[in-house]
Amino acid sequence: MSFDLTVLTPHLEPLLAGALLTAEVCALGIAGAFGLATVLGLATAGRGWAQRLAWLYVDVFRNVPFVVQVFFLYYGLPEIGVYIDAFWTGVLALSLVGGAYGGDVVRSGILAIDPGVVEAARVGGLPRLDIIRRIVLPIALRAAIRPLGSVFVNLVLSSSILSMITLDEVTGTARGVAAETYRPFEVYAFLLVAYAVLTYAVSLGIAALHRHLNRHMVASPGVAGSEVAGKGA
Amino acid sequence: MIAVEGVVKRFGAQTVLDGVSLAVAPGEVVTILGSSGSGKSTLIRCINGLERLDGGRITVDGLDVADPRQLAQARRLSATVFQLFNLYPHMTVLRNVTLAPEVVLKRPRAEVEAEAQALLASVGLAGKADAYPAQLSGGQRQRVGICRALAMNPRYLLLDEVTSALDPEMTAEVLAILGRLAGRQMGDGGTTMLFVTHEVEFARRISTRIVFLDQGRLIVDLPTARFFADDGGLAHPRIRQFLSKMAPSNTVAGAEVTV
Amino acid sequence: MRHAGFTWHDGALLAQGLGVSLGLFAGTFLIGLVLGSGAAVVRHFRVPALSPILHAGLELLRNSPVLVQLFLVFFGIPALIHQPLAPLSAAGLTLSANTAAFVYFIAVAGLDAVGRDQVEAARTFGFTRMQVVRHILAPQAAAFAVAPLVGLAVNQLQVTSLVSVIGVMDLTKAGDILNLRTLRPFAVWTMVGALYFAAAKTLTLLGNRWERRLRAHAAPLEL
Ligand SMILES: Nc1ncnc2c1ncn2[C@@H]1O[C@H](COP(=O)(O)OP(=O)(O)OP(=O)(O)O)[C@@H](O)[C@H]1O
Ligand SMILES: [Mg+2]
Repeated sequence: MSFDLTVLTPHLEPLLAGALLTAEVCALGIAGAFGLATVLGLATAGRGWAQRLAWLYVDVFRNVPFVVQVFFLYYGLPEIGVYIDAFWTGVLALSLVGGAYGGDVVRSGILAIDPGVVEAARVGGLPRLDIIRRIVLPIALRAAIRPLGSVFVNLVLSSSILSMITLDEVTGTARGVAAETYRPFEVYAFLLVAYAVLTYAVSLGIAALHRHLNRHMVASPGVAGSEVAGKGA
Repeated sequence: MIAVEGVVKRFGAQTVLDGVSLAVAPGEVVTILGSSGSGKSTLIRCINGLERLDGGRITVDGLDVADPRQLAQARRLSATVFQLFNLYPHMTVLRNVTLAPEVVLKRPRAEVEAEAQALLASVGLAGKADAYPAQLSGGQRQRVGICRALAMNPRYLLLDEVTSALDPEMTAEVLAILGRLAGRQMGDGGTTMLFVTHEVEFARRISTRIVFLDQGRLIVDLPTARFFADDGGLAHPRIRQFLSKMAPSNTVAGAEVTV
Repeated sequence: MRHAGFTWHDGALLAQGLGVSLGLFAGTFLIGLVLGSGAAVVRHFRVPALSPILHAGLELLRNSPVLVQLFLVFFGIPALIHQPLAPLSAAGLTLSANTAAFVYFIAVAGLDAVGRDQVEAARTFGFTRMQVVRHILAPQAAAFAVAPLVGLAVNQLQVTSLVSVIGVMDLTKAGDILNLRTLRPFAVWTMVGALYFAAAKTLTLLGNRWERRLRAHAAPLEL
């Protein structure tokens, strides 16, 4: 019984390659999730059949385990003639589930917008699409950055599940290394800490981004003074 | 001309506008008075197409606001200033003013920006073009709201209690601008104004006509002088009652504050 | 034997798997609830040494994939202590600890929401620390935490699906087996998904009902 991390050194290269694959599949998955979340957020904040359809989608993808979704896409779809390789199945699965969770976040952001602001844009004669693109989404997405960030961090953690469909991302690679070295404890402990450090860093970055993009949206403490100063300007 | 003909508006079982008719001709400054809940805001919202009518008809220079196509045209002719400003919080002051002229009227950006800067300077906000709404005081925000409306070069300006969210000092600065605007435009075929306000004294000074809404009905429509005459508007008990309630706190903006 | 077709036996297999999933969820969620709230109380009283260590450990669990946690426990720990660990024990251990991590952060937020002045007020009346927790903190923090806990429960129910990878015969594993026999993955995973969906919706329904009841109880106090 001993704990020796140096056994990992010869295997750092494949682990790094795995990490890179994780980064790729996650980056694409997050991009897809972001797009889908925007559409679903708009749909669920609206009304009519589009809203009901979007709700159904969100409901299904939030209440079925991610593994089952992945198995369905990877093993189930070929039965009806749709073949997607492991990598793109991963991207698709992350996009679909991330879109469902993110859509809820975007929806809250949209519903939190002061309706008067949207009315001002309508009365100003802005076309519907312009109102969505220039007013509704910029405001809603700003408010949603932090919660969307949590959704995306969770996506990164969920991406480890893609090792179960033979994708050799970092968790999949680690399984190989563990089997090869007979040192599963070191391998998985290292992996666990690596994931945690990475996602923690990402959370910090997102919080900073959130503050940065929202810096003009709230009055800063000095504003009471600027009121007087600005009077004669 | 803004023509309101027998307009009916209901919210559920409540009839908020009950056959309102009103015509605002070019060059006029018309003030709508009426107690709280009488339907003033609703009438303004019907004119700028934010509410769907349950009866009657509203046209702006002949364009029927109930028809989506014509409404889009009508919205280029009129502009609205809101009680709570409703500025775009994620855009600079300058962008707030230039957005609609650029996107809706498709005018070149440089030209629109130069005009916006001039407008902002005219209301004392020359140095605030790059500020964001959250960084401004209420009075400054409403001045931006006015610039945003004026930048559309509207024939008709709709204003719904644009000073009621402001303290007396800020109210005075905004009213001064509106007074200037009304004075400049009156009679020359420029911006026509339709006001909702509780500043009775101000309304008396700048309006050509005053109409009175009572429980969704327009009960009086008179030239300003006649409205305040004992045998004119004041002959109506409802109006006398309304004015006696309003008078102490609203005679002159900023002079007295309601407790 | 392609397209072997479904039999009654398959239904029993799925039902059995669902039972294992639900049982595992219920057990680990309860344990996690107790452990996580306990850790939150430790943190609330700022117990030296123990509280920062717990905090760091639980933060680690919250920010890492459950699958890796499962591998660490099922493959890693036996290698370290040279003792085999049964799949079900490894699954129970991992999911309890993982649930505890999430419960901990919800409970900490709940306790923080109550406010220290109330605690100080109670202390001046001579309540002991544990009495303060029982009578002042716990009820209010619980009311604050129900909604996030219901959300967590739905999530943790789904997380149980990962234990199939270390050989626990849960619903997902049942799907796996069925799949190998019938070679009808489309139908099998749709069915398995539908069962999970039904379980999650039922849980949400129960959770919401419980939340309403708790709120109704707390209402007269919110004067
Ligand atoms: N969206 C709405 N839904 C339901 N009722 C409404 C709605 N908007 C206005 N009302 C009702 O219509 C009536 C008239 O409202 P409106 O805002 O037009 O009054 P107002 O004359 O502008 O009053 P105030 O001077 O207080 O602004 C009120 O009774 C109000 O409650
Ligand atoms: Mg009003």
